[in-house]
Amino acid sequence: MNIIKLKFWQMFAVFALVLLMFGTGYSQKEQWYGAFTYSVSIPTGDTKSLVEEISWRGIGLDYRYMIDRTYSIGLFFGWNVLYERSTRTTQTENGAVTGTSDRTLNAFPIMANIFYYFGERKSIRPYVGLNAGGYVMNQRFEIGVFAWEDDSWEWGIAPEAGVVIPVEKDFGIILNGKYNYALTGEDVFGTTINHTYWQINAGFVWEP
Amino acid sequence: MNYTFPKKHLWFGLSSLLILVSLVFGLQSCYPGDDITAADTDIVATYFDKEADFSTKLTFAIPDKVFRLDDEGNPIEDPGANDQLALNRIKSNLIEAGFTEITDPDTTNPSTTPDVLVIAFANQSTWVSGGCYSSWYSWYYPYYGWCYPVYYTYDIGTLLIAMVDPNESRNALWVAALNGILEDTNAGIADRLTDGIDQAFTQSPYLYK
Repeated sequence: MNIIKLKFWQMFAVFALVLLMFGTGYSQKEQWYGAFTYSVSIPTGDTKSLVEEISWRGIGLDYRYMIDRTYSIGLFFGWNVLYERSTRTTQTENGAVTGTSDRTLNAFPIMANIFYYFGERKSIRPYVGLNAGGYVMNQRFEIGVFAWEDDSWEWGIAPEAGVVIPVEKDFGIILNGKYNYALTGEDVFGTTINHTYWQINAGFVWEP
Repeated sequence: MNYTFPKKHLWFGLSSLLILVSLVFGLQSCYPGDDITAADTDIVATYFDKEADFSTKLTFAIPDKVFRLDDEGNPIEDPGANDQLALNRIKSNLIEAGFTEITDPDTTNPSTTPDVLVIAFANQSTWVSGGCYSSWYSWYYPYYGWCYPVYYTYDIGTLLIAMVDPNESRNALWVAALNGILEDTNAGIADRLTDGIDQAFTQSPYLYK
């Protein structure tokens, strides 16, 4: 998938969310709720081979529609920037390269989701569920004056568990964790990999 | 139509702003990181032939000079201040890896024909290409042709260490590239050169017996 198509995907996602947001504003009260979260990412597996450090750069935006008292369906859009400057050796397909390297992964999860909520409305509600969709992955590996870059769309899933804590009538706090697992993908050198990382999110919900 | 105001509008506005910001920055992607120093640009890259069986390569011979190649890939006489240091370090690493040096190779005598030739050379121009860069070597074996991979730019002064099989005309079995280091005149260059050669062998464990 070339970069132009990726940009289209990103723009499409944002456009869809804006439309959804307008729809939310005029939808029936308390059927929809939205969440804005700050996101911390912890790389694991193949992603950790690229970036070992925990990322403190991340945001997420959720729109969820309560289809009944216990289930919601919705959309999630996020942006996580994983970055590390490293001097460790990187294995390539038929060799290795060592030097001061800047390693960056921009991950843009765009997913539909379904959640099951415990407890009653207007009370503290733990929930579990699954996000499914994909990621726009932008990987960049710079070493010395050279750089390898890869833009791609990767399918993926992200099981999630969290809790929604009402604070006021239409305002609350959300805490959750999710495990991002890209089902497809390759690194900047063309080796097949699966990006994986934990996400810990904290933020606000409105119309909880 | 139920419509909670103004808190909902507040969040609606904030969300719109967030999406707008994400759109602007997201389409660019984010690349954190400060500027790098000259020493940060040192790179040691190694490549190996996946078909090569290094366990059968037990002896080596190495010319006692660092060859410098012009734009055409032909040798020129232009010795560098750290050439001997580099050659000695390459030899010591090969011996540590389990190779035995043959100091007086003779192609007519199988017992003194090395399993591999190790050639050190530096380029006098900057090459940017992909695929295979052809070179030749004529000290032991007249016009022996081979090639080494060119995956990225080799700066002027890049030290290349190539291990070739004298019995086959093919790609190099192993290549190490220390980018641009022989052109550097900064203090501490000898240490950087030594460290770079050591690193080339450290990151190539398949060479060790």
